[in-house]
Amino acid sequence: MAHVPLTPIGEPLSAIADQRTVDDHEQKVAELEETLRIRRGEVHAGWGEKYVGRVHKKGKLTTRERLDQLKDPGTDLLEVGTFVNYGEEFANGLKSPAAGVVTVFARVCDRWCMVIANDNTVASGAWWPRTPEKIERAQTMALRLRLPTIYLVDCSGLFLPEQSRSFPGAKGAGHIFKMNSVLSANGVPQIAGVFGDCIAGGGYMPLISDRVYMTEQAYMVIAGAALIKGAKSQKITSLDIGGPEVHVHQSGCADVRVPDDEHLLACVRRDVANLPSSGAGFYRTAGAIAPLYPDREIAGLLPVDHRESFDAMQLLARLCDQSLFWEVMPEAGEEIICGVGRLGGLYAGFVLNRQGLVGNPEHPKQQRPAGILYRAGIAKVSAFSRACNADGIPLIWLQDISGFDIGAEAERQGLLAYGSSLIYTNSTNDVPMFTVLLRKASGAGYYAMAGLPYDPVIQLSTTLSRLSVMEGRTLAIATYNTKLDDDFEITSTDPEERKAIEDGMRDVERRIEADMDPYVSARRQDTDEIIALGELRRWLVAATEMSYQSIGHRRIKNPRIWSLHDLRELVGGVR
Amino acid sequence: MFRRLFVANRGEVAARVARTCDQLGVTPVFGVSEADANAPYTIDRETVVLGPARSAESYLDPVRIVQAAVQSRCTAVHPGWGFLAENPRFASLCELHGVTFVGPPANVMHLMGQKTPAKKAMGAAGLTLIPGSDGVLADADEAARVADEIGYPVLIKAEAGGGGRGMRIARSTDEIRSAFDDATNESRVAFGDTRVYMEKLIEGGRHIEIQLMSDTFGNAVHIGERDCTVQRNHQKLIEESPAPVLDAEERARTLEAAVTATASIGYVGAGTMEFLLDDNGVLRFMEMNTRLQVEHCVSEMRSGIDLVAEQLRVAAGCKLSVSQDDVSLNGHAIECRINAEDPTNGFRPSPGTITRWDLPGDRDGAIRVDTHVAAGYTVPPHYDSLLCKVIAHGATRDDACDHMIAALEQLVCEGVDTTIPMHLQIMRSDAFRKNDYDTSSIPGWE
Repeated sequence: MAHVPLTPIGEPLSAIADQRTVDDHEQKVAELEETLRIRRGEVHAGWGEKYVGRVHKKGKLTTRERLDQLKDPGTDLLEVGTFVNYGEEFANGLKSPAAGVVTVFARVCDRWCMVIANDNTVASGAWWPRTPEKIERAQTMALRLRLPTIYLVDCSGLFLPEQSRSFPGAKGAGHIFKMNSVLSANGVPQIAGVFGDCIAGGGYMPLISDRVYMTEQAYMVIAGAALIKGAKSQKITSLDIGGPEVHVHQSGCADVRVPDDEHLLACVRRDVANLPSSGAGFYRTAGAIAPLYPDREIAGLLPVDHRESFDAMQLLARLCDQSLFWEVMPEAGEEIICGVGRLGGLYAGFVLNRQGLVGNPEHPKQQRPAGILYRAGIAKVSAFSRACNADGIPLIWLQDISGFDIGAEAERQGLLAYGSSLIYTNSTNDVPMFTVLLRKASGAGYYAMAGLPYDPVIQLSTTLSRLSVMEGRTLAIATYNTKLDDDFEITSTDPEERKAIEDGMRDVERRIEADMDPYVSARRQDTDEIIALGELRRWLVAATEMSYQSIGHRRIKNPRIWSLHDLRELVGGVR
Repeated sequence: MFRRLFVANRGEVAARVARTCDQLGVTPVFGVSEADANAPYTIDRETVVLGPARSAESYLDPVRIVQAAVQSRCTAVHPGWGFLAENPRFASLCELHGVTFVGPPANVMHLMGQKTPAKKAMGAAGLTLIPGSDGVLADADEAARVADEIGYPVLIKAEAGGGGRGMRIARSTDEIRSAFDDATNESRVAFGDTRVYMEKLIEGGRHIEIQLMSDTFGNAVHIGERDCTVQRNHQKLIEESPAPVLDAEERARTLEAAVTATASIGYVGAGTMEFLLDDNGVLRFMEMNTRLQVEHCVSEMRSGIDLVAEQLRVAAGCKLSVSQDDVSLNGHAIECRINAEDPTNGFRPSPGTITRWDLPGDRDGAIRVDTHVAAGYTVPPHYDSLLCKVIAHGATRDDACDHMIAALEQLVCEGVDTTIPMHLQIMRSDAFRKNDYDTSSIPGWE
């Protein structure tokens, strides 16, 4: 069975919701996304105009200007880690927008590349706490997808007042060079351009790259002039010690000297153009076609309140090419949708939670809430995930889940074991996985659906995302369990004690609520990026295209030999 | 070549496709609605009933059609024209379920089905466009700026539009903002989409189109142009080739550019590019129809090429059977569309049963009649009312017109009103013979 039996899904927005509801959803999302827009703007501004002016005065481009020149005209930069360190203050009350390094997926000469660029408007590109982790995360993404990796180096070294938080540890700064080495060992092309300072540890980063460019303003040193005895009286500068004159011609630590930023970026583009072209064109089974129901309608579809339900199939209809989708094993585990659709003409597997009420196979006359996982659903997801891995179909996890089924029956059924099977599957998958925390991402559900601890290549949050072990209310109940009755009402009749319990429960709820803020997750690198709902399809199309870009490093089966077809035959019954 | 071809269309289209199938040894299977289940053109043909008369539940239901094609063991689907012929989702659905769609790839169809992206692609490929905005307008200010640039009057059109909705004319600066707002609002209500763009309004003008054919190997040819200026409310009544009013150089330039553009977008199969011939004699691209057209017979009469056969061969993976040098266009061909309508009464539809139906002779190959009608046939009220197309060929335009008049005089249809008298009057008129008309009026009529 070679055909991939996609069928039409979705309906016009006007057929599934009244205009008032749609307007209400759109307005609420618009408010949240306006905050996102403003905060992105803050981060993109770095340390502000003054520092942009300083960079320009040196005849250099700012990091974001470099990125704009590097990418193909008219394409989007897909940034990850925008909000790392967001709002956090370090020594001397200093802030580090984007942790002082911009990491983006960029389209260069029709190939997706990972670009890691020190932000020269933030402390001259210094490394802050979490800067190494952010760079390593970007390198890991590049490694997983075998994307050419480009370093735009302009880095004054560690931000020394906070050195103890960035130098040591398993993910300390030195691990960046380990990742340079691992990328190289795995055949991932690396290109480095040095635009200015490149001091101490930073010096190792470009050197492991396959090609190193230096502008006339660039220098690479183990220690700068400031630490060299007698440098002052001899008027020796860092440029004298480690500029292109030394490294391109004498030491051989760099390959090519170029006059300035523009020339360097042109050279990098020329190099990328010489790399193999993308395999996506070969694997594409059809040209890319937008969904029939436009993705700009997603904001009108999704209730901001995670307790309100929506039709998950309608979301898929606004993500998949032409709103065509093949739901696999629809008979089992109704609470979750597994299936295949096309993104930009390339096949991708989707797993997403249904919302609202679904049938209950144990009690055919009853219904039970979706948005959580039951036994058959877990088994279905596990089998689907395994099949996509076997078939080489990139997996997209769209989470809106509050957890696993609980209770005596669930334990008797062995949900712990079913969940573990799924965990094992996702942990050992090597197909690229991409996870989106659409709204709620709670507890075991977050883990089961390939949350960040299970190494998806990218985990995206929306402005609606709520990431937690459990909701605040649930934890409050658990904390005050001994003081509550079966309906979770306070048992005490003493007004003072009641008030103390009420206040305590409220505090617990408030604390959890604050931590569920997606910007908190993003600051701590618990999620890779926060995106607007209208950007979701663009991201997924790009991620899928990246998954098919580099050929030869992972299994990609043609649909004739997909094990997914076997599952369909087995679950659909013998025919 | 496919053994069995599903014809996802009705009436004259189905009969036309089936005729080529018979010649190629392909078995056609007609998908029919309940209203067409016993129509004369289905006699001695395999049919599958798709559903009720209502098109939405029969000829316009992609899932039913694909299912019917698979179940009737057809390996390809010919969509004809109209209905789902330009629906990229239907094309994808066919391919996904193992049935070859006879037409271009879905993404190319989708591209050319979008207004400003299609314009952009064709402009980039070297065709002359109607002056206008570069894509969608950002706001009323941009509308005013672009209108000043290109000059009034201008037309603001909905990107998602169709059927004339979301369209406003502005004749001066005073009208531009209200035109922008009205078009935007109407588009929001009608299509849930506020995107609008602008074109210079060219009133009148002549409608000229180019017949194109290409294969999956990047080969493309044109089969000449057609003039379809005789229209009523954008419904074509008469088509002819060559275009009687067209500068030879402009013709050659545009034919060549159209072929290049067709190849550049990866087009496959039969397609037509429509142009507006403006007052300065310049052909300006309007849109591409990604399918065979009703009036394809005009080009067939001049070239001797069977376009349906060519479509089927290309769909089955063959190269085009002709190169551009092999395409020789001879004489002049004219087509009249005969509808069951009363032209003396505002073209009111005239459904009913046809009691007598006599076709004209072929006048030694000068006359071709494409029809699905026979005496006793009841014209169903659910669909368009085309009864037949009469195509006349002659050495010159006047010869062709004379053959047409003779044929129309012999064509007898009793039981329903038809547009035959109108066509006769047009053919005999000075206005038509001397090319004194544009798209805004019917020559010799009105």
